Amino acid sequence: MQKRVAICAVAQIKNDPNLWYARFQNMLLECFEGIMSQTNVTFDMEKGIRTVITCSDDVWDARTISNNGMTDVVGAHFRGEEKMAQESLNGLGYAMASILSGHDDVVLFMGHMKESQPESRNMCTNLAFDPFYCRPLGMDFVNVNAMQARAYMEKAKITEEHLAKVVVRARKNASKNPFARENDPVSEEDVMKSPLLADPLRQLHYYPSTDWAFGMLLCSEERAKEFTDKPVWITGYASCMDSYFLGDKDLTSNFSLKNATERALKKAGIKDIKKDIQLFELCDHAAYQLPMWAEGIGLVNDGYGGRWVDDGGMDEFNVNVSGGMLNGNPLLLGGAARAIECFYQLRGEAGERQVKGAKRALAQSTYGAAGQHQAVVIFEV
Amino acid sequence: MAHKKNRNVAIIGVGQTKHSSHREDVNQPELIHEAVSAALKDANISIKDVDCIVHGNMELFEMIHQPDLWHVLGTGAYGKDSIRITTGGTVGTTLACASDNLVASGMYDIVMAIGFQKLQEGHTTGGITNMADPLWFRNLQTGALTGSTAYDVIQEFGEERAKRAAMMYRIIMDKHACLNPNAHRAFGLDFDQVETLMNTSPKLVGELRLIHMCSQSDGACAVIFASEKKAKELSKKPVWIRDHITIHREETFNIFGYHKNYPVLKTHKFAAEQLFKRNDITNPLEYFDVFEMYDPAAWWGLDWLRDFFFLKGDEHLRLVENKEIMIDGSMPINPSGGVIATNPIGATALLRVAEAALQVRGDAGAHQIPKEVKHALASGFGGTMWTVLMMLEKELNW
Amino acid sequence: MEYWGVKVSDIFDTMNDRFRPEGAKGVTAKFGYDITGEGKWKIIVSEGLLEVIKTDDISDCVAVMVCDGETFVGINIGKVDAANAFTSGKVKIEGDFGQFGKTAKMFKKYVPKKAAMSTRDYILDMFGTLVSRFQPQNAPQEAVIVYDIGGADGGVWTAYIKDGKCELKEERAEKFTVKLEVQDAKDWVDVMLGKVDAFSLLSAGKAAIVGETQLALKLGEIFKKYQDPMASGTPEQELIVLKKIISVDQKFSTGPVMGKFLNALKEKKILGNKCPKCGRIQLPAREVCAVCRVRVDEWVEVGPKGQVRYMEYVYYASPDPLTGETRETPYGMANILLDGCQGNDTFAHLIRRDQIDRIKGGKDDVSGTRVRPVWNEHRTGSIFDIKYFEIDE
Repeated sequence: MQKRVAICAVAQIKNDPNLWYARFQNMLLECFEGIMSQTNVTFDMEKGIRTVITCSDDVWDARTISNNGMTDVVGAHFRGEEKMAQESLNGLGYAMASILSGHDDVVLFMGHMKESQPESRNMCTNLAFDPFYCRPLGMDFVNVNAMQARAYMEKAKITEEHLAKVVVRARKNASKNPFARENDPVSEEDVMKSPLLADPLRQLHYYPSTDWAFGMLLCSEERAKEFTDKPVWITGYASCMDSYFLGDKDLTSNFSLKNATERALKKAGIKDIKKDIQLFELCDHAAYQLPMWAEGIGLVNDGYGGRWVDDGGMDEFNVNVSGGMLNGNPLLLGGAARAIECFYQLRGEAGERQVKGAKRALAQSTYGAAGQHQAVVIFEV
Repeated sequence: MAHKKNRNVAIIGVGQTKHSSHREDVNQPELIHEAVSAALKDANISIKDVDCIVHGNMELFEMIHQPDLWHVLGTGAYGKDSIRITTGGTVGTTLACASDNLVASGMYDIVMAIGFQKLQEGHTTGGITNMADPLWFRNLQTGALTGSTAYDVIQEFGEERAKRAAMMYRIIMDKHACLNPNAHRAFGLDFDQVETLMNTSPKLVGELRLIHMCSQSDGACAVIFASEKKAKELSKKPVWIRDHITIHREETFNIFGYHKNYPVLKTHKFAAEQLFKRNDITNPLEYFDVFEMYDPAAWWGLDWLRDFFFLKGDEHLRLVENKEIMIDGSMPINPSGGVIATNPIGATALLRVAEAALQVRGDAGAHQIPKEVKHALASGFGGTMWTVLMMLEKELNW
Repeated sequence: MEYWGVKVSDIFDTMNDRFRPEGAKGVTAKFGYDITGEGKWKIIVSEGLLEVIKTDDISDCVAVMVCDGETFVGINIGKVDAANAFTSGKVKIEGDFGQFGKTAKMFKKYVPKKAAMSTRDYILDMFGTLVSRFQPQNAPQEAVIVYDIGGADGGVWTAYIKDGKCELKEERAEKFTVKLEVQDAKDWVDVMLGKVDAFSLLSAGKAAIVGETQLALKLGEIFKKYQDPMASGTPEQELIVLKKIISVDQKFSTGPVMGKFLNALKEKKILGNKCPKCGRIQLPAREVCAVCRVRVDEWVEVGPKGQVRYMEYVYYASPDPLTGETRETPYGMANILLDGCQGNDTFAHLIRRDQIDRIKGGKDDVSGTRVRPVWNEHRTGSIFDIKYFEIDE
């Protein structure tokens, strides 16, 4: 087991379908001020924040070096700043490394993303494919996820009814989360009748376009008491990359998630996740991914996702009580949103949706088509 | 004394491609694979020994979103921890700093940093201009091209001396590039061309001329970092990372007032001061044996010597005029030929670290400096005048 | 003079055949070529038609390329990097550089004509280069290798290796270490060029090894690989470069702060916001003062006149990434200290193009050229509600 780092404070704005009246600087500034007022942290070169880690993306911001325009609103003028140009949960892992290395003892981690800015999300994710073969074929994260959905539903005996159940539950849970995107409540019938995006994925099976920003303050174990009475500890992080071409992998194998989970648990010294972890936050970009990722982290046996949904596994194991990615977080920031839910829950500050007695939590996130890259972080109090 | 660290980290392998404006013979993952294979061979390990891959470049130059997903075909990240960290032109040094942090943290024993760019697959100056705010400065900016440093040096030292010194700097870099088989541009310039080139090379912005400016290259670089224990087991010549620092500044350029009552704080100088202070280095010019500097243009390279080494008056000009920055001089700068010769942006700053490490090992071949290298410095530059500095050491003596 | 087997005149003589009317769309101009020591040429492009003339009178050309014959041929056949030649001054463009750039799209690539090599030519070349390809570090101390190549194009050669040296004679040695027998010379050429592998010849019975087989298998190490002179560095397969324009429409929000700044421009007002701590005025307005890390809420109207502190004199025509259009050069981008601002609180904008040569930057208490904004009649809340600044006289 390795050393741990503390999350001392989090700040966020409400997830919103279209923050047309704000540019990302406005969104970040609110979060920045939230962290400053909660912790009174400074930017002193000896004792304060020397390094800010940010999360954003050049394609989504239509901006080379997307972190360039945020230096001032994250306080990084004449300080260090490094951008996690990948799914945000990896930013937490990297912040952990920066602190455990001894190079930094206080790190500010901030991220933003406006999915409402580009005309089409699929045009952006199409650019994640090679220009010669997959891109001209029109691949994007939605239609490749649909291929994975088809294969996984077959394997785990997932039906339209299961997916509808997942969606309805996500919206219900999110309605108790004041920072969640406000969506209309839907019935299982609404879900099953919603238009197809890419067969078998329907519109309501997929997370809606969202704008959001967040901030977190992390520090070393020794210094946590300076900033909070209730630190939440990060005890393990790992990620894993799968192969690129769809033909090179079994889309239902959960190869990268299994590896990432195994490594993160080992670092955190956890043997039995069902016993030792009481809360799970998974990045379900689409409804089928909730049972699939639950299999990947070892909460459900391979191929039993359908039965697990039937048997009430989602509630039994406290999976996505926040409403999950499915209710709406921006693509790049789903992992940060999961981490923030773990933070609130473990501190006992989750209000109406509070899970009693949760001591440890697991957050998972993914990027790329069909879960190519996966990351897992373990928290505890 | 060095900056505190959980455990020590060393570079145990470096690899790079031949850099060129014409690498149509390979696609992006293939280009990366060349550098990765070279680094693994140099470290005498296999990809199985690597725990984590750190990937970086700038997406809009090639218009590939999160390219680490496709590049897994060449990076070797399959089945491994894999993250992507970027800054700007500084990204290569950021990858090195991140790798150092990841290993020092105890989370990974061996980490490989991969910097990459294939600038011929997009429009470089257009891509850089895209970093400006779309609401105002994007309409005005011209990439990273600016004549302001030329203007400053000319104002301070007179036109003749300034232009001559900048061209001397340029020709010295070309002489170094001619010694480096991987360099993109090596023209074979000679000192008797100073006069001609400083007056006839086409102008880009003000007195910044085409010959002063860096190239646009295709290329990749990979550097392997290992924990102290692993490094001592695996490497005969580990190069130790002593410390690093990153300093950014705001997006707006509030630096053009030209009034003595309103001095401008410079990132390079601030970074160097902070880094050297916490490592008890009072005279960096004396301390370091070689400096691989991210010098995107001859004027900048010339001017920045003053910032990094705390020089006074015209000391930096004299270093150049007296050829002290040449490979056999007292303070060799960029024996590799530097950024003016070779610039695949996402790899450029990592090449500075890689080349500095080769110098410490004594393995730089024809461009090895002819004296022992114990202390090396590497810098990155990018964004709106951002700085990253990394210090490399031959001996682990702290 | 020939360079890489190509004459300067070959390039010009084939221009008509290589002309691409679609690449010359909208171009009507005369371009000159002054090739040192070779002569001068002029090409006239008009409405999709091309005329190439060898003439000394190129004074009426809009742009003239000046370089030596080697560089010119080298660029045309891909042996010399055009950008490098230009940067290092080996190529100069006199006149309108932007116009000359258009010639790049007008012609298909020049492909040098090649005389085919016969099987006999190859056989002679292979044995002619054998000694130069010898690698003593990989060779045995002593060996005699006989090559018995059959057919009309064939012959018999013997390589004598001794003490790190190799000697080749056109003769049949009776005492040898190993003998290679190939029935048809053409097969041997194919093996050497890598088109056929030696094992398939052996197994097909078209070739045989007599003597020490082990040594025969090491021949690839004893002699460096034969390089096809006809390949002359060109790749074995055509390389395809995929060209695409990628565009995703964007909606950039201004937010309240930038929004207020841009809205004020509609009213011909320039608003900066002033830091409550250090007092600096930010143009354009920013959400925070980066130095003090505080929100900036106080607004002040500044200018609209001011003085230039520094101007970028830009010669390089960079495309505007928002529109794709290339700006006219030269132009001036100035940092202007608007009245009411101080220190480094300058505002960046363009200078009227015909006035850029008259602009002087200020220093310390000495003022730079005084300028005033020229407003667009139709203002939309954009940075270009100000067309540019002009000299205030």
